[in-house]
Amino acid sequence: MAKLENSTKNMVLSLTAITLVVGALLGLVNAVTKEPIEQAKANKQSAAISAVVPGEGNEISKGEIVTSSNGEEAVVFSVTNNGQLIGKAIRAVSKNGFGGKITVMFGFDAEGNILGYSVLDCSNETPGLGAKMPDWFQKGQKGDVIGKNPGKNNMHVSKDGGEVDAITAATISSRAFLDALAQAYGVFSGSEVVTTSASQQAVAEEVAAPCEEACDGCPKAEKEESCHNEN
Amino acid sequence: MSKLGIIINGLIKENPTFVLLLGMCPTLGTTSSAINGMSMGLATMAVLICSNFVISCLKNLIPDKVHIPCYIVVIAGFVTVVQLLLKAYAPAVDEKLGLFIPLIVVNCIVLGRAESFAAKNSPVDSACDGIGIGLGFTCALTLIGLCRELLGAGTVFGASIYPEQFGALTFVLAPGAFITLGFLVAIFNKLTAKK
Amino acid sequence: MSPHVHSGNSTQKCMLQVLIALCPALLWSFYQFGSGAIILTLASVAFCLLFEFLITRFLLHTPSTLGDLSAVVTGVLLAFNVPSNLPVWVIAIGALVAIGVGKMVYGGLGANIFNPALVGRVFLLVAYPVQMTTWPSQAGYADVETGATPLSIIKRIVNGESTLAAPDFMDSLLGVTGGSLGEVSALALLLGGIYLLVRKTITWHIPVSVLLSAFVFGFLFYGCNMTLALDQLVCGGMMLGAIYMATDYVSSPMNSRGQLLYGCCIGFLTIVIRRYGAYPEGMSFAILIMNAFTPLINKYIKPQRFGVVKK
Repeated sequence: MAKLENSTKNMVLSLTAITLVVGALLGLVNAVTKEPIEQAKANKQSAAISAVVPGEGNEISKGEIVTSSNGEEAVVFSVTNNGQLIGKAIRAVSKNGFGGKITVMFGFDAEGNILGYSVLDCSNETPGLGAKMPDWFQKGQKGDVIGKNPGKNNMHVSKDGGEVDAITAATISSRAFLDALAQAYGVFSGSEVVTTSASQQAVAEEVAAPCEEACDGCPKAEKEESCHNEN
Repeated sequence: MSKLGIIINGLIKENPTFVLLLGMCPTLGTTSSAINGMSMGLATMAVLICSNFVISCLKNLIPDKVHIPCYIVVIAGFVTVVQLLLKAYAPAVDEKLGLFIPLIVVNCIVLGRAESFAAKNSPVDSACDGIGIGLGFTCALTLIGLCRELLGAGTVFGASIYPEQFGALTFVLAPGAFITLGFLVAIFNKLTAKK
Repeated sequence: MSPHVHSGNSTQKCMLQVLIALCPALLWSFYQFGSGAIILTLASVAFCLLFEFLITRFLLHTPSTLGDLSAVVTGVLLAFNVPSNLPVWVIAIGALVAIGVGKMVYGGLGANIFNPALVGRVFLLVAYPVQMTTWPSQAGYADVETGATPLSIIKRIVNGESTLAAPDFMDSLLGVTGGSLGEVSALALLLGGIYLLVRKTITWHIPVSVLLSAFVFGFLFYGCNMTLALDQLVCGGMMLGAIYMATDYVSSPMNSRGQLLYGCCIGFLTIVIRRYGAYPEGMSFAILIMNAFTPLINKYIKPQRFGVVKK
């Protein structure tokens, strides 16, 4: 077959045809992969949440987007079990990383003690230094923050007079991590005031059984939301 | 040239990384570990085989004056397909490679092979060239990633070889990519020059 | 190769002068940091000689260049640039990079673009940041207390993270502070520098322009604070860099005007990195950056050709 000549008609036709075919192909692939991509995103999120607020049979509420004190977007997930508030998972961002933003998911119990954390993005930190943060602050590690309460403990690196050991030779990344923690805790304590009535304050303070009727209202709403999420 | 000859040509004589020195951006950017280098190489290879084959099929339907936009549309289409598939079925790989997957569109290896090989040869030969060049790229990236990972973190494909604290972090960071590439090109030239 | 080498002095004699000039600093380091200083310096020199021997013998197949003493100087300078409690295996890697990557890949002494000792030092700083930034504050080799260096204290004061007093000028001048093995005593390094000037091994242009520009820019960038500006001259690697490393024949410009420009830029870059960079010390980076500019400076600031009549 001879090659098509360079006439305007040929050029327009061939470019249009190729673009249309490629466009159709992309539409097809997009339709096929849309579902799995969202599934993968949701799986990642729920895996991170159940990692920071552990427990069997927990229900996770739909994320509530708020703005933390540094102007970044934070997302709050309430975790409940049979209507009891187990804790909250809060995704917070710090802008002060060594190479830009870091994103961390923190889990707090109802009293504000740290249940766990999971670093979602520290790709801008230096490998071998700041990028150690997914492990460094875990339970039993040198910078252990688990079980501490940012409302009571001084969550700063020891260089700044706090009680957390910074990652060796990566003070800036460590400060960013603790900044993300402060953002998350700020949202946690703030959301307590804004979104809930006195009833949940009671949960926070007493944790024990008597709150069952007091919380009646809130967990239901959360349950509905989580059902919605599963659909 | 036989089909096997075309493949071997891409792997050694025209190795895109060590001989042609093409596609340096992903070569330096994604080889911080062997597995990252290999994923990048395989993703590029998939695009290369498909685009070479399709462009070779279409070569007579594309007027010369618009051949570059046509090639780029085809290549960009396949890159987007690869990216969507990775996002859906291998999200971990997609996260590791990040921006470098869409950047395959502007990888000069892909457009270069379309121009210099697929536009002149039969579809099957072009696909073989895609396999050869793709394999050459994958092997080179895996090798660079392997060296950097071994020297920098003491692991090979994630398996620990020696304690991490002895690893020279430089190799995991950007400067290590340049140093490793330089030495590997030197070794590759030394080995192939003797033949 | 730079004209200095042809001016009656052999490379070996120059290197010997430099080694003699470095002796006071080494003695002070031994007094300040104890056995670690001697162990590391000897190990560094030994490894540099070993790698130079192995590479010339088995890779390049060229005559041995051990006799020109340049590997010894590289070894001593490399050791002077690291903390005195650095493990010996780390300094061995530093020596391999300094000699192998810093010098031999370019074809040996005279062909290298960068100062080999600094290439080794910066490689180590990036590769082993934990070991390279743990400074001993007392004499001994293993298991010693670690502490801050004057420059890290200044950095924290400037960033408003610390209310400590600025480092004392006299302490830093004498060298009773934390820091790298051979850089702590500005006075001992100055003594060696004067010796080199008297023996005409180096000229005054580079050291003076580096120190002067560091002082001027230090004064400007640190809010016109005289204490902090003076500290810039005696803290960290300033003296060691200005007198012994920026003046490296091979990697510095050939004529005096070029050297003045080169020195001023080093001083400026050092202060910029110290003040605004992530690292508290910027001397080695500044020298390496200007090493890269040396060919350009040589090209545009040419020496007056002998015998040419001015138009």
